[in-house]
Amino acid sequence: MLRNYFKIAFRNLLRNKGFSFINISGLAMGMASAILILMWIQHEFSYDKFHEKKDRIYQMWNRSVFDGKLQSWDFTPKVLGKTLKQEMPDIQEVSRVEIRSPFLLIVGDNKLRVPGGFVDPGFLTMFSFPVLKGDAKTALNNVYSIVITEKLAKSLFNDDNPIGKTIRIENKDNFIVTGLVKSPPTNSRFQFEYLLPWAYLTKIGWDDDYWGNNSTNTFIELKPHVNAEAFSTKVKDFTIKHSKGQEQNELFLHPLTKLRLYTQFEGKIAGGRIDLVKIFGLLAVFILVIACINFMNLSTARSEKRAKEVGIRKVVGAEKSTLIGQFLGESIMLAFIAGVFALALVQFFLPLFNSITDKQLTVQYTDIRFWIFLVSFILFTGVLAGSYPAFYLSAFQPVRVLKGVLKAAHTSFSPRKVLVVIQFAIAIVLIISTLFIKKQILFSQDRETGYSKDNLIYHFLTEDLVKKYPLIKNELLNSGAAVSVCKTSAPITEGWSNSWGFEWKGKDPKSKIIFNRFCVDDDLTKTIGLTITQGRDINLKEFPTDSTACLLSESAVRIMGFKDPIGQIVKDNSIDWHVVGVIKDFVLQSPFENTQPMVIEGAKGWFNVIHIKLNNANSTAQNIKTAEQIFKKYNFQFPFEYQFIDQEYAKKFNDAERTSKLISLFAALTIIISCMGLFGLATYMAENRIKEIGVRKVLGASVINITALLSKDFLKLIVIAILIASPIAYWAMSKWLQTFSYHINMQWWIFIASGILSILIAFSTVSYQAIKAAMANPVKSLRTE
Amino acid sequence: MIKISNLEKIYRTEDVETVALNKVSFDVKEGEFVAIMGPSGCGKSTLLNILGLLDDPDGGSFVFAGQEVAHYNERKRAGLRKQHIGFVFQSFNLIDELTVYENVELPLLYLKVGADERKKRVEEVLEKMQIMHRKNHFPQQLSGGQQQRVAVARAVVNRPRLILADEPTGNLDSINGNEVMQMLTELNDAGTTVIMVTHSEHDARYSHRIVRMLDGQVVLENVMI
Repeated sequence: MLRNYFKIAFRNLLRNKGFSFINISGLAMGMASAILILMWIQHEFSYDKFHEKKDRIYQMWNRSVFDGKLQSWDFTPKVLGKTLKQEMPDIQEVSRVEIRSPFLLIVGDNKLRVPGGFVDPGFLTMFSFPVLKGDAKTALNNVYSIVITEKLAKSLFNDDNPIGKTIRIENKDNFIVTGLVKSPPTNSRFQFEYLLPWAYLTKIGWDDDYWGNNSTNTFIELKPHVNAEAFSTKVKDFTIKHSKGQEQNELFLHPLTKLRLYTQFEGKIAGGRIDLVKIFGLLAVFILVIACINFMNLSTARSEKRAKEVGIRKVVGAEKSTLIGQFLGESIMLAFIAGVFALALVQFFLPLFNSITDKQLTVQYTDIRFWIFLVSFILFTGVLAGSYPAFYLSAFQPVRVLKGVLKAAHTSFSPRKVLVVIQFAIAIVLIISTLFIKKQILFSQDRETGYSKDNLIYHFLTEDLVKKYPLIKNELLNSGAAVSVCKTSAPITEGWSNSWGFEWKGKDPKSKIIFNRFCVDDDLTKTIGLTITQGRDINLKEFPTDSTACLLSESAVRIMGFKDPIGQIVKDNSIDWHVVGVIKDFVLQSPFENTQPMVIEGAKGWFNVIHIKLNNANSTAQNIKTAEQIFKKYNFQFPFEYQFIDQEYAKKFNDAERTSKLISLFAALTIIISCMGLFGLATYMAENRIKEIGVRKVLGASVINITALLSKDFLKLIVIAILIASPIAYWAMSKWLQTFSYHINMQWWIFIASGILSILIAFSTVSYQAIKAAMANPVKSLRTE
Repeated sequence: MIKISNLEKIYRTEDVETVALNKVSFDVKEGEFVAIMGPSGCGKSTLLNILGLLDDPDGGSFVFAGQEVAHYNERKRAGLRKQHIGFVFQSFNLIDELTVYENVELPLLYLKVGADERKKRVEEVLEKMQIMHRKNHFPQQLSGGQQQRVAVARAVVNRPRLILADEPTGNLDSINGNEVMQMLTELNDAGTTVIMVTHSEHDARYSHRIVRMLDGQVVLENVMI
């Protein structure tokens, strides 16, 4: 019996090549897209699930109310980790993790700057990064020990055994390699090439015992059978207690396995990246459903051709259930063929998908679970696509179909029309969303940053650069490569420090508004191009007391309530900073968010970065070459590693652009798949109405009349789809836009443009068939009857 | 073998009610060859569909092989159909995607007959219908007469007790028509009951008895001598 089914299915496939092509390619595209998205989702869910003790590891988080809003964040005081370990017997192990600014590693002439950082010795026993050489328990016990990954070992020592070898760091201290670990997999939040002991951080004076300095991540491993919730309650007031009430941050535990996807809290876990995962999950379902709808529509549209077969089979004894089985079998077979093509498409498009998503996903051909997934997925698709046609076709009455009573009913409501409306409604929602996302990104990109990004570069300060800074600055200016130079605490594109601890005259003692903190020596406005609206820039040459001067942003002045801000004192870190000027707000962090109030402190602050405004009179290449020579002269052990501010700023849009690209890609796919279905339907419609068209033509209808007649029915459906999609897209987009403080307003032209676009696309899809049918010779079509 | 009494069938649309069968009663004995005649729309095809368990009556009784089947559900009807009844249609109704052999094999597949037995029976019946040489052809590659022979082969391959033929010669020329009638007669001679709907007095003469219908009722029964 199965052979008989297969024979019929195959012969049908071959006989109706156009139909088969549309069905298989549509399903293959839909399945390939869904598989890619599912692979992406699976990767997102797999983050840090490979650690053996994953269920006992938690990150310590803070929460506190600022400006009336409960905020949660994962930076904790450096002192927290060691104090917890000392005082809480429920804790098995603790590690602070500080993987950020990379050091320069030197082995002979080999100099490398790769990601790495500081951890406590317990890190290697808490987390499951396989230690290939060395002892996980003791590898980081010595202050000058270093653990490196296989990849780094290969770069520094080729295939030699790295254990016991020396690596010089920042041209300052020598470290002995005490451990070799496997490189962290891509689905880990810890991406490092080397690990240094926390003790070294303490040694170079970067550690502190200040409960108000939330500056590091703290991970704990609970002992087996310790209840995390009960423990969370126990440590809730830990910071408050230890800071003797000076800090009001509550501590709570956040499971390691949820760190990737859940980062927003409203009393409990409220969201985070999981929202994006859900959106993409929905997208996968949509695309698959759209592809399946094509199958359903084309199968049922062709039902007149299959009806006779159903009738005969019933006459010779087939039961309805057998026929359902047969048709489901056919759709599953088709899904299998499509599945093979889908797998080829996945393989072909994976590099592109990886580059858009910034992942390194691979198809796990050798993993049995992948094949189980694939087969189940194909079966699911086959059943999803085939169920409606199977029930529809198997329900035919043999008496009626064998008499040829069954005719396509031109009713105002039919499941096929509903399905077309669903397809296009989804596609239109995606078109509207794509346009909104693109517009929002453009809007933020066009946003006035408040400073001049052109020809502006920065370089991180090394110890030598700090010492030789005045000489370097002078030489850069004298060489004509730079027009202005300044030292700052962070790149102008990043906010590294903030606080609610600033004090000023008239401050409400209960106020906990967060201000960004930024430091500069002088020449800030000249170098960065900020605008002074009141007072003047910090100027150490003319005003030596400006080492304790500060600038306020306009929003800071507003919040502090200064009528005349110049000369006011703002206290921070036990220093009285006197306000010498006010600057216009500028974008320091996210271009999608409103600017935060900001205090820019003078030369008494701390410095990590040098900003250089290159001279427009020379070519950039020439300026860079000159600057490199000067840096090499004073900082000869280190490479000249500069960054262009405009490029760094552009990176802020990477995530949004990635999402935008993906959504556009999938929107285009849904349109293509939907149009393929529409084309198929139009073909069958034209075939079915061939006699009617002939009669109309004989009676005097023109080609335009007939084309309009045939296209009208479909365009009506598209208009309904637009009416359904618009409010859904409006709701979704207004929700999405609300997640940005700096966002565009609802723009009606996007809805209208999307509507017109979908009508045009649909019209061009059906018009080919409509015109073809309209142009046909009526004598021929009438003779067929 | 068949006993129907007061059989009714009414077709209803929104505005119109059409009585297709109005209290029809008659019997058919095992081994009989009965022709049903009457003008178009008199209800003969409706009657044949009910007799073939393709349609159910709205009233009356239908006893088939000793069982009351008037209100059998689709599943039970399908069961009886595949066991005991073979159909021959005016328009042949072969599945275009299947070869001659596969079309004839179909009823045996639904009866779950084993592969060897199936092969034997299909070939046997194809030989008998003299269509063996065309077994790998598709229906569109055959003449009308050949297609009807395939349809007859398919109708008899499951060795039914009853063959229902709905104007079996309607689409055939007289030579092919006669051949088909000859086949039906031979089957009947071998013991199979045949009920045939026809417009043709010529064909009806092959039967033992003619049942004449008008407006959903049996108006006359002629026994052929």
